Amino acid sequence: MGEIWARVKFFFTGKRRREVDEEIAFHLERQVEANIAAGMPVAEARRQAMIAFGSRESAREECREERPSWRVENLWRDVRYGIRGLGRNPGFATVAVLTLALAIGLNTTIFSLLDQALMQALPVSAPDELVVLSFAGSHPGHTHSDGGNSPGQAHEFSYPMYKDLRDKNTVFSGLIAAAPTMVGVTWNNHAESVGAEMVSGNYFEVLGVQPAVGRLLVASDETVGGANPVAVLSFDYWRTHQGEAPVAGKTLLVNGTPFTIAGVAAPGFHSMVWGRTPDIFVPITEQRVVEPDWDYLNDHSSYWIDLIGRVRPGVTAEAARASLNGLFLSLRESEFTLLHDQSAKARTGFITQAHINVDAGAKGFSPLRGDVQMPLTIMMGMVLLVIAMAVVNVASLLLVRAAGRSQEFAVRYALGATSGQVLRQLLTEGLLLGFCGAVLGLLLAPEALRLLIHRITEGATGELLPFTPTLDWRVLAFTLGVTVLASLVFSLAPMAQFQNPKLAEAMKERGGSGGGRSLQFRRSCVALQIGMSLLLLVGAGLFVRTIGNLRHVDPGFATDHLLAFELDPALAGYPAAGVAPVEQRAIDAMAAEPGVRGVGATNDSDLAGNDIQGDVLASGYTPKPDEDFDVELPWVSNDYLQTLGVPLVAGRYFNEGDSATSEKVAVVNEKFVQHFYMGDVRAALGHVLSRPNHSGTEATIVGVVRDVKHESVRDPAIATEYTLFTQAPKQAGLTLYVRTWQAPDAAANSIRAALSDIDTKLIVGNLRTLTEEIDMNLIAERVIAMLATVFGALAAVMAGIGLYGILAYSTAQRTREIGIRMALGAQRGTVVRLIVREVMMLAGGAVLVTIPLAMLATRAVRSQLFGVSIADPAVYGVGIVVICLVAGLAGFVPARRAAMVDPARALRTE
Amino acid sequence: MPPSADLLQGTLDMLVLKSIALKPEHGWAIAQRIQQVSNEVLQVGQGSLYPALHRLAYKGWIRAQWGASENNRRARFYSLTAAGRRQLEAELVNWARLTGAVNLVLERI
Repeated sequence: MGEIWARVKFFFTGKRRREVDEEIAFHLERQVEANIAAGMPVAEARRQAMIAFGSRESAREECREERPSWRVENLWRDVRYGIRGLGRNPGFATVAVLTLALAIGLNTTIFSLLDQALMQALPVSAPDELVVLSFAGSHPGHTHSDGGNSPGQAHEFSYPMYKDLRDKNTVFSGLIAAAPTMVGVTWNNHAESVGAEMVSGNYFEVLGVQPAVGRLLVASDETVGGANPVAVLSFDYWRTHQGEAPVAGKTLLVNGTPFTIAGVAAPGFHSMVWGRTPDIFVPITEQRVVEPDWDYLNDHSSYWIDLIGRVRPGVTAEAARASLNGLFLSLRESEFTLLHDQSAKARTGFITQAHINVDAGAKGFSPLRGDVQMPLTIMMGMVLLVIAMAVVNVASLLLVRAAGRSQEFAVRYALGATSGQVLRQLLTEGLLLGFCGAVLGLLLAPEALRLLIHRITEGATGELLPFTPTLDWRVLAFTLGVTVLASLVFSLAPMAQFQNPKLAEAMKERGGSGGGRSLQFRRSCVALQIGMSLLLLVGAGLFVRTIGNLRHVDPGFATDHLLAFELDPALAGYPAAGVAPVEQRAIDAMAAEPGVRGVGATNDSDLAGNDIQGDVLASGYTPKPDEDFDVELPWVSNDYLQTLGVPLVAGRYFNEGDSATSEKVAVVNEKFVQHFYMGDVRAALGHVLSRPNHSGTEATIVGVVRDVKHESVRDPAIATEYTLFTQAPKQAGLTLYVRTWQAPDAAANSIRAALSDIDTKLIVGNLRTLTEEIDMNLIAERVIAMLATVFGALAAVMAGIGLYGILAYSTAQRTREIGIRMALGAQRGTVVRLIVREVMMLAGGAVLVTIPLAMLATRAVRSQLFGVSIADPAVYGVGIVVICLVAGLAGFVPARRAAMVDPARALRTE
Repeated sequence: MPPSADLLQGTLDMLVLKSIALKPEHGWAIAQRIQQVSNEVLQVGQGSLYPALHRLAYKGWIRAQWGASENNRRARFYSLTAAGRRQLEAELVNWARLTGAVNLVLERI
């Protein structure tokens, strides 16, 4: 302890130089006295004492070096020296710091998105104790999935299974359940559709989320179906929709049913599932109220809720899995007795092949994470390339600068500086540049992040990606790591040519063109910069073509002048039987609006990433054994196909004569006919289709239409059976498409007005044009294309600066050679051509090496491309032309300057 | 000037600590004492004495105070701290062990 204290004390106070001097003086004096006492004359005594002591200065120096603060003083000296050095060359310092700031800022920004999406734990207490449950085995019945499943890992469980697992397990201190949905919420007489999450009563308790206002749900809130209408609001909803009013104990309407607001959840908490941002949480037992179309609560065969458990302290995920699996299998055993199909094969799929999975869940389960992983990885790859370019760029600038300083270093070596000291000096300068860049980059990053998040969520409705423009410790650590690594590389690279040059050599180098090694190094820098920027340009080209292609894909129908919105009368509290009639009234009212050319409706919205699929029994067709062929099954309105403009191939469209009470009819597409009737459209007409195990679904084929894209512009059309929503076995919310000549804003107003004329409680959900809808679903592609373009442009500019720096230097080095050539009769043009040709040959070589590398790199992102080959000649052509223009320009400017020099003066530069 | 070849690395520190164990001394006296007691065998280079004194002070083993020398001039006197005393004991034990072992080897081989 004493020792540490002494060190700390000395670190700050040190020993004053005067004290050391005084002590040494005293020592000498005593020695002189001793020498005199031994009989020496005074002068000799003094001389001998001095000799015996040795160098006073070095004794002083060594005393100083013993000081604990010695290293810090040294560092401070190096830093001051570095700042002075950079200050002598402000142009260079500015370019280098700006380049680094841009590259580091971009890296921080993209890494922050990556961190938030793929690495951050949920904002709950002790997230490491959380585990995600999934299972393998068949799940006959109804599955409501948001995606994120893989073979052997279905994440949706039934509610009865959840209750049994929760109450009978021995490994969890809590097991929670949640399922997402959309509800209509009326607050202050204003109705709108918002995201909701149905959660188990213990949801907030087990996660450890605190209330911001009032109380959150507790286990006793989960009672029996519909008995306890209470709700918890998300902090964001409370802030943006209710102005942070005191809402606890107040009432709001959910789908027309009054719910009491219990409280508001803590800010920052969204859901146990990353990517979900519900505005309102209700007990899971209110399922029938918030989702009136379905009744899941008591059904063993409805798989719809995600489960997350908190393991007891000391229980590993593996122990939890083993213990839970036994319980799960015994529950499956008793569930099996309730199934229709009791065959041995069904038993194998349901029990023998079944098991439960328990996976680490600190980050929460997320179907979205898989979707964003690839785009984010691509963006991260691109920004890493940008920073690699920045490093090479700064390295080449430093190299040029260091070459100009060879005399300075030679002098320092001559004055006794060791290699280590010179190395430390270069490193300090490099780190200084790096940290200036990093600080500036970190200042830029939050703003860039805000812009990017705005881009990503612009126009998005429904589920927002929960990105926030804040940097956490992981991002800062990443930035620090990148900065240090980058600084090390670019400050040490120029050292390659500076290992202890001899003074004479340094002097000789003045007029020459640099040693072989440094020439080699400069060439590699030029080639690397050209190569990397070509790589980024090619990436940009491929993604820009991809988004262009996707935007111009013909889905098979006209997407212009088409407004879409959601209408779900159940969210306004309509009973099941009243839904279809009011939907029909709404469709008729829309059609009567001025400027409207047609109105169509479907329960399976187009090009929105949705699908509703199932198997179909077709008369006149015998399925192959074990055939599993899914058909798209939209329920549409009479005018839907005509409004969208899906061309008729045979038979007829639906028409006015088809009603709820007339014969049930169906229209199929060509893909459907291909599979079931060998492509014979005439033969298909008149056949009867039905859904296995669904009574009342028989419908006669009356028409065949052309294939159109449905799920997204990327996916090919699939076999489809259109039936009428008025003839459907149950009610459903619809998406209405209005083809109108009015401007979208004006049309939107008249749509709202027309709907509120029918019933003010009806909610116009997610009103958008179909073009916007398509763009929304191309968000990842759009953002990648935008960023790739930015990065490509940045790369070209950086390459230009870097090349110019190197070429300007090496051309200046050759002033004498150029002078001789011109004195011997070379024309100015010849000289410029000579230099530019050298640059272009170097560029050509770099391009040739890069092309195969680019093809290799782009193979990895092939899944994200659309309608463009990874060897697209136009993309490569443009990239090569751009990079050659940049290289040519960077070479031409200094070449011209060199050629303008008067040969006589050039020869005299020595 | 490097320490006399006879002084092992770290031995100087021990000798300095031992020389001021009984009463505080200034630098010159420490050097003289080591030289005299060792019959002029151990020459303490002044160039290394003062860095050693500083090092020991920074480590908190000795403390320095200004005082009057034997000829009544201002001089820096060094004395052992409690930590320095413990350190000296530890080094002496270590030294005895080392020399004993070396002697054993020299006698038996």
